[in-house]
Amino acid sequence: MLNFGRGLFGALAVLISQAALADVKIGFQAPLTGLAATDGKSSKIAAEIAIDDLNAAGGVLGQKFELVTYDDQAKSDQAIFTANKLVGDDGVKFAISGSYSAAGRAAAPIFQKAGVVFISSYGVHPDITKAGDYCFRLVRLGPPQGRAAAYFIADKLKLKKASVISMDNDYGEATLQGFLGDAEKNGIKVVNKYNYSLQDRQFGPIVAGVKRDDPEVIYATGYFFTAGPLVAQLRAGGVKAPIVGSQAFDSGKFIEIAGAAAEGVYVIDGFDRYRKDSKLEHFTAEFQKRAGYPPEGVAAEVYSSFDILADAMKRTGSLDPVKVRDTLAATKDFPMLNETLGGFNKLHEVVMPATVDVVKDGKFVHFSTIEDAKVLAPPEE
Amino acid sequence: MFYVDLAISGIVFGCMYALMAVGLTLVYGMLRILHIAHAAVFALGAYVTVLVANASGSILIGFIAALIATPLCGVAIYRLLYQPLLHYRPDVPMIASIGLLVLMQDGFRILFGEQGVTFLKNPLAIETVDIAGITLNLAQIAVLIVTIIIFLALHLFTTQTRIGVAWRATVSNPRIAASFGVDAIRVRYLNFAIGSALAGVAGGLIALLNNFVDPTIGYVVSYKALAIIVLGGLGSVRGTLIASLFLGVIESYGTIFIGSYLNRDAIAFLALILILMARPQGFTGARTA
Amino acid sequence: MSAYTISLLSIVGINVILAVSLNIISGFCGQISLGHGAFYGAGAYAAALVAIATRNLPLALIAGMLVGSVLGLIVGFASLRVRSDFLAVTTIGINFLFTGFVRKQGWLGAEMGISSIPASGLGASGNMIMIELFAAATIALSLYVNASWMGFAFRAVAEDEDAAATLAINGISYKLVAFALGTALAGLAGALYAYFTQFINVDAFDFITSVMLMAMVVIGGIGSTVGVAIAAIVLTLLPETFRFINEYRLLVFGGLLVLFISLAPGGLASLFHGTRTRLRR
Repeated sequence: MLNFGRGLFGALAVLISQAALADVKIGFQAPLTGLAATDGKSSKIAAEIAIDDLNAAGGVLGQKFELVTYDDQAKSDQAIFTANKLVGDDGVKFAISGSYSAAGRAAAPIFQKAGVVFISSYGVHPDITKAGDYCFRLVRLGPPQGRAAAYFIADKLKLKKASVISMDNDYGEATLQGFLGDAEKNGIKVVNKYNYSLQDRQFGPIVAGVKRDDPEVIYATGYFFTAGPLVAQLRAGGVKAPIVGSQAFDSGKFIEIAGAAAEGVYVIDGFDRYRKDSKLEHFTAEFQKRAGYPPEGVAAEVYSSFDILADAMKRTGSLDPVKVRDTLAATKDFPMLNETLGGFNKLHEVVMPATVDVVKDGKFVHFSTIEDAKVLAPPEE
Repeated sequence: MFYVDLAISGIVFGCMYALMAVGLTLVYGMLRILHIAHAAVFALGAYVTVLVANASGSILIGFIAALIATPLCGVAIYRLLYQPLLHYRPDVPMIASIGLLVLMQDGFRILFGEQGVTFLKNPLAIETVDIAGITLNLAQIAVLIVTIIIFLALHLFTTQTRIGVAWRATVSNPRIAASFGVDAIRVRYLNFAIGSALAGVAGGLIALLNNFVDPTIGYVVSYKALAIIVLGGLGSVRGTLIASLFLGVIESYGTIFIGSYLNRDAIAFLALILILMARPQGFTGARTA
Repeated sequence: MSAYTISLLSIVGINVILAVSLNIISGFCGQISLGHGAFYGAGAYAAALVAIATRNLPLALIAGMLVGSVLGLIVGFASLRVRSDFLAVTTIGINFLFTGFVRKQGWLGAEMGISSIPASGLGASGNMIMIELFAAATIALSLYVNASWMGFAFRAVAEDEDAAATLAINGISYKLVAFALGTALAGLAGALYAYFTQFINVDAFDFITSVMLMAMVVIGGIGSTVGVAIAAIVLTLLPETFRFINEYRLLVFGGLLVLFISLAPGGLASLFHGTRTRLRR
């Protein structure tokens, strides 16, 4: 009886202490269903690994992290619901979006108004950070990504004549603008521009156009599910020019779909996944175990969003969102999984070098790093 | 050469569309149901082809499996979902059909993964053939050949065989056909079986072309196939082929010349609307169909 | 009331307006439209532009209605050319044409959407109350129309246009009226949406949105204002109530849709009235 009583008391004590520990809620929105579910799944797994790792390392200020995940279908109205739910019902003070631009853009003002520190892991809509000083972004904006591509083509590959293929969404459009704006300055002549929508998987007319252009290089934006077939069809159509792809090419599935055609494709702002780094190796192994496929850039960005937020909390020594926000904004030289973050600018956009990967023997391997601060400079306002 | 290339890729698009839509034509012609879940049957065909091909090591066995799975699925949809709803306004079965599409599409996502599936070995997408300076890969050639075979076979079936003639009569006028002793119910099952098998083949071929199948593969089919059968004049197999090729070629040229003003789907639907305004009965439909 | 509840109720109200307005076109007048999202979107974009230019709420709402109904009239004229099952596909086309057009228009924000829409000045709850009032007014208008001579004429046109003509009901003008009225209300809903999100991009007005609205009409019971309004509420709240199952939400939603139509093909309205009137094909 005594033992039983002690056992019960012990269990209660554990329960109470857990309740006290499970204190820091991090709100998380991701497109778990709908057209963006692929990235949503990777985001969610990365977020769960991040929370487990942070808690295994003792949480923060004696408290454990708790993940509150909602599906936003990458849609703006859904994101408004979930942001309001996180703020109002769950009372989170910190939130991370592992979702696309439209969802992040719609949610940002809600978090800003509620004084919730908000990080968009990979949403590239320029207005996300413009919502206010509580909003941060951990991925490079479209225009500097495009500028980096132009710089890389001119400076590294020394090629001058380009065909440009872009996808129809905000990311494709923004990146294209950045590329076109800087192409001329870098001495690149854009022979022709093509665009396609995200449902397209067959690119016969574009391949025909590129063949006619006979460019020295092709710059293309796309996600793995469009980029894979696109690259395969360009190569099958006899186009031999090097292909420079945008960040969103970065997925093992891209190589799987395009097969041998993927060889030699460059990815601007890629994810240097084979870098020797114990944290990265741990993450890669853990992700592979939980997801059944290797992590892509999106997963790394989401993981790092949690990591950098927790780091800011620790350095602040407080969970006051205002103070955490200010510490986070002042972060310098933080090792993320994909790159070392130099810091945030006035608008809370990332300042960091850009990795260029190349596909070699069916793998993304590091090719070079773009350091030029002027090329990569995010907008200040 | 460029213009020829565009025409060829337009014809490949057109054949793709023809394969996606022809099964729907059969169903619509007879039952007047906007069978949007046809897209899910198509996706099923694509998944079964890839998964069975990967498991067995033979793309052919993949196609055979799809040819077994999709007619069963189609007949089940007819029997369980549509038959009880036949007496209602067509929007009622249509919404049920949309519900089924959502259900199946999300089922595929959960069962087979968000990332989609690819063929382990797909030589058809890589091997190319040069014919008079035009490069086509084997998957594209397969699409062209299969389309020709299917439409030829359908043509012969409906004009040369007894059951085919009965079937065509039922499609164009179920009441009169019934009075001639045609068993309309059996023809309906046949319709769904054949239509779904065609969707299954189409799914497998598109999977070969793209070397990729993801849960959203049916999305384009769900609306574009409807546009095609309407443009073709509803219930007309020949019209479907003409409309498919027409839209394919329009999209191919449109992507290049007006792609920076309208995307591919918008180009196709603009063409559809303009033609319907000029010819409200579609390409081949009778005025009072 | 929590911010979450307010945002949810706001969208519920907007969806009620949309579904009830679609019911005027498709339910009362028998014109199947799968492109309601286009008019909704046109209203939202018009209101957003006017709101930014003038910061005047009533003006923006009127602009939304006006643009919605002008577009609706154009489509209405087009609808006269084609028979009913062609119309469904034509309206799908209108929806794709609308989204495809907006995607390339810099002055409409193209892919980026429009994000600097000023607040209505009513606050989140004031905004919600405004939306609910408009939703109530839409229901009242729909009930009134249905009970009036116009509603009778709509039904006559929907049943049999030639027979309607013998009653001196001009099918053409009533179809146009139904389109203009229904799409003006959709435009209003769009304007309210623009104020609600203060950020619009074209994906919110796509074909899938139109399909969901049609689902609300059918589930509610084609032609029944109250049934459709209830269906709009239920179908908006349903996915929220099973948020906890996160990635299975769509699966369950699709399943319930199929199940419901199979069990109650006449929609909610048929359940309430206990009649299982088989709607004419």
